[in-house]
Amino acid sequence: MRINKLGLQTGAVLAALALVATGCRGGDDGGGGGGGEGAIDAPGVTSEPCPDAVNQDNGCIYLGTISDLSAGPFAALGGPITDAQAAFWQRVNEDGGIEGYDIDATEYVRDNLYNPETHSQLYTEIEPDVLALAQTLGSPTTLAILDRMKEQSVIGAPASWTSLWGFEDNILESGSSYCVDAMNAVDYYVEQDDAQSVMAVGFPGDYGGDGAAGAEAAAEANGIEFAEFVETAPGAEAQAGAVSAIVRADPDVVILGVGPTETAVIVGQAAAQGYQGRFVGLAPTWNPALLESPAAEALQGLFTHAGPWGSFGTDTPGHEAMRTALGDVDPNDGYTSGWAWSYPLKAALESWLSGDYDKTREGLVEAVGDLESVDFEGMLPEEAGDRTQDNDIFRQTVLSSVDPEADAGLTVLQDFTEGPSAAGFDFTGACFEG
Amino acid sequence: MTEFLEALIRGLGIGSVYALLALGFVIIYKATRVVSFAQPAFMLTGAVVTSYLTPALGFVLVTGLSFFLSVAAAAIVTALLALVLERVLVRPMVGRAVFVIAIITLGIDIAVRTVVTGYIGIGARPIGFPWGIETIQVLGLSVQIRHLVMMGTVALLGGLLYLFFQRTPFGLAMRAAAFDQEAAMTQGVSVGAVFGTSWALAGGLAAVAGALVSTGAGVDRQLWVIALIALPAIILGGLDSLGGAVIGGLAVGVVEQLVGSYQRDYAPWLGDNVATVAPYALMLLVLLVRPYGLFGTPEVRRV
Amino acid sequence: MSTTLPPKTEDGSSPVAPATPTDRRAKRTRLWGRPAFFQSYEQQLALFDTWSKRVGVAVVVVVGFALTQVFSDDILRSLALAFVLAIAALGLNMVTGLAGQVSLGHAFFIGIGAYTAAAISGDPEARTIGYGIEEMWIWLPAAGLVAAVFGVIVAPIATRLRGLYLAIVTLGLVFLGEHVFREWSSLTGGAGVGRSAAEPVLFGFDFSDAGSDSMFTRDQQMYVLMLVLLLVFALAARNIGRSKVGRSFAAVRDRDMAAEMMGIDLPRTKTLAFALSSFYAGCAGGLLYTITGYFDPGSFNLLLSVQIIAMVLIGGAGTVSGTIAGALFVAMLPTIVRNLVAPNLTFISTLPSETPNVFQVEQILYGLLIVVFLLFEPRGLFGIWVRFRTYWKSWPFSY
Repeated sequence: MRINKLGLQTGAVLAALALVATGCRGGDDGGGGGGGEGAIDAPGVTSEPCPDAVNQDNGCIYLGTISDLSAGPFAALGGPITDAQAAFWQRVNEDGGIEGYDIDATEYVRDNLYNPETHSQLYTEIEPDVLALAQTLGSPTTLAILDRMKEQSVIGAPASWTSLWGFEDNILESGSSYCVDAMNAVDYYVEQDDAQSVMAVGFPGDYGGDGAAGAEAAAEANGIEFAEFVETAPGAEAQAGAVSAIVRADPDVVILGVGPTETAVIVGQAAAQGYQGRFVGLAPTWNPALLESPAAEALQGLFTHAGPWGSFGTDTPGHEAMRTALGDVDPNDGYTSGWAWSYPLKAALESWLSGDYDKTREGLVEAVGDLESVDFEGMLPEEAGDRTQDNDIFRQTVLSSVDPEADAGLTVLQDFTEGPSAAGFDFTGACFEG
Repeated sequence: MTEFLEALIRGLGIGSVYALLALGFVIIYKATRVVSFAQPAFMLTGAVVTSYLTPALGFVLVTGLSFFLSVAAAAIVTALLALVLERVLVRPMVGRAVFVIAIITLGIDIAVRTVVTGYIGIGARPIGFPWGIETIQVLGLSVQIRHLVMMGTVALLGGLLYLFFQRTPFGLAMRAAAFDQEAAMTQGVSVGAVFGTSWALAGGLAAVAGALVSTGAGVDRQLWVIALIALPAIILGGLDSLGGAVIGGLAVGVVEQLVGSYQRDYAPWLGDNVATVAPYALMLLVLLVRPYGLFGTPEVRRV
Repeated sequence: MSTTLPPKTEDGSSPVAPATPTDRRAKRTRLWGRPAFFQSYEQQLALFDTWSKRVGVAVVVVVGFALTQVFSDDILRSLALAFVLAIAALGLNMVTGLAGQVSLGHAFFIGIGAYTAAAISGDPEARTIGYGIEEMWIWLPAAGLVAAVFGVIVAPIATRLRGLYLAIVTLGLVFLGEHVFREWSSLTGGAGVGRSAAEPVLFGFDFSDAGSDSMFTRDQQMYVLMLVLLLVFALAARNIGRSKVGRSFAAVRDRDMAAEMMGIDLPRTKTLAFALSSFYAGCAGGLLYTITGYFDPGSFNLLLSVQIIAMVLIGGAGTVSGTIAGALFVAMLPTIVRNLVAPNLTFISTLPSETPNVFQVEQILYGLLIVVFLLFEPRGLFGIWVRFRTYWKSWPFSY
């Protein structure tokens, strides 16, 4: 077979020509759409008012959101988080905005389908038009853009509590990680009920794996038995192995790092098979709909929730403001989380705009690094926002028990608690093995 | 032994759901020679419709009855939806390459599933199954009532399908069309009606499967993934065998549950979550021995 | 079909003129305006058999490079991704379009390639396996070869099966592969975590690194790299298609028993088809994630396989140009829907908690556009081209 040489040569020449021509563009989109006054030189900040602005005289700061909104596995969380954040910034604007700027978090909302490639693609699309990310949902997805966020000095609030975020300067995490929550839960039940053995059941990786690592560390610190980490897969019918492992090992405490459906199945069926120990579910295990599931009775008897802050109905000024801002919605802690995650970003923007910082994205990153406290309006202690120390891991967990009368089905059992395991643990990197 | 038998019964229960789904795949395949990837969407539709109907009917009827009536109604609604989609989007493609049609069914699946998922809301929707995850004692084994209901349903629907195909004129027409479309046409069989009916039947079966599978923990967004586990079941049984679909479905359920219960003890080196892929491994093993599944008809090839 | 049989003339003889080795001039010259008239087998099998094809390809290539000047980085990035997916689709086209074996297992081979490339090029100090050999000319062929080896391993099962059985069995491969990828966390980083992808470094030049003094942005560099690679792979695919191997594939597709009678070794041919297809998939896998720089085991699922088979079918099975067009169409569809269609639907809520909202509509449109497209042109983009060509060929007579 002889290749048409003429064609190849022509092609090569043309390609070379085109390559030379390609050089003309390039490197032309640093800076981006800076403000008209020249005071602020950062993309996503304009002196024009926001679309549908509350304060027509204010400029506008655009925040991007990349979440799981339609067909992905976490869409049931992504929706409420995104809604709550829209309500949060609307309230900020109604209070006059921040230093002459309104905040817009609704113009650049994108659906990542929980796919890292899509996430990365969407980030490329909106990055030139936004100052920072109000939400970047998921660990593998966020890891796919993290290098570029650092390169381009973009900060973002995560939508997960994996312990990895404690070590990333560009990620503005709030509250304790799964790893810390699991440690504090184990400590609590060792102290209260003299628990002697712990087991972890969860999805592998950044969530279940993170909680399991915390549970194992806490078991070691307390000198009690860590039975094993049973990795399980999503799906109501895929839990038979986990259930039989729990019933057989019969540990005093089981740390759950799964979704709500799996929680219902595991707790319900383990109880039906005679298990009488204590289930501790990490933050994403709970959904108020579980109270209508067949496992509701078992959950009321055996389940404790270990999360970074109080549930939807908790009585703090922050929770109260959130409920008012959202109006009439089905209570769900997706809202609570979206709301709480927004406070550090607000604090960072305030200190960046009012303080002596370069009015660039780099200046904003610097301002984030200087935050000593964040006013969470009582949802979290102020020191939870401290980012100045090297070891700025927040180690306090809220334990809640199931209460059908409460707004989202949970009431506080133990307000912010820090057990000896978490206090004494030397965090040097993400808890989970990857 | 108790544990083994309990796992076996669990497997037969879940397997019944796979069997219903597999029946749908096989009915469509026999009529149209296409594997319809829209089954997951119909399954989710059935579950969601049931979850809306049960509470609505619950006000007028005793619990229990309202659930089963809702499932029946959801099956009819889904069957109608399938009928319409087949008529509008699939029928014009008759005679085209089967894989082009398969991709069309896939597009239908994406669209329908997205619409239906929108009605699940932000939590898992309860389905209103009267017994939840309660268990009863049968011969010293504790068995979940819902697994018994699943087995009963597949027995009932399987029997009805058998009567339909063997004893009714239209069932005969469907068998004739599956055997040889052109010959059936010359005998006055409306092949278009056969296509439509096959989709409607498959949609209804998938809807029932969806409602049954949600009895454990309600309807959630990832429910449709279960429909994909029916794919090894149909290959196992043979693509064109209704009996094979039922046996394949049951076999897949049993293998999945047994592997889930015992693999950690006997073969931990396989890693976690092997149960979810065990049906596919089983399928590969069977096909090595029998390339057309256990009960499939070997294709006669002529030059 | 890429190789149409020469049409018979009226007296039944073939229009193929007897070609002698000295008759080189005759082989080059083609009759103007008679694209289906071949004077030699060589002409019929030529890479670009008509003048208009040569010009057409040249124009497309030049436009392809010139686009770096026209589009912004985010679109170039989508296009670069689409180019790599096109390489994967070319591989699937070999086994499906040419050899007629429908495989839903392409995601598995893409995964093998991605992990091979990432492991060879990965940082030896990192938590995941890495050997620190960043040069692309090492990891790219290696990714392809390892995937090809897996293709050969799978082939004995695949050659026993036909049609839908084969499709669903190869689908099983995807599920088994996904399981292994999730569990083997020292290689893959594990489910929900992931690892860094291979580094696109060629002879010391890192395409993914655009320093501040660079003429190009990172996305422009990656775009050009992927475009060049796509051209290389497409040219190779075209050559395979017109070679003895490619023609034996087509014979197997058209009638496998007849092919066997003609002395084509079926198992060997099918195995070769799987190996070649997997090689392409592996190379595409290695390249695909260099654009994002990061990937997790959840990527190699049924959806990816289906996306690629949709590319081949929408393109119009069997042709290189059709496959590339199909790949660009399917890969760019979400971007097009998101940026061009959805913003015009202003009456639809942008609040994710409301139904319907714009994100659901994006998904629904993605599904429906595929359906509608195939409904109106089941032969795919290539079918549209054929209709277009036929229309102008017979113009002004419509029949």
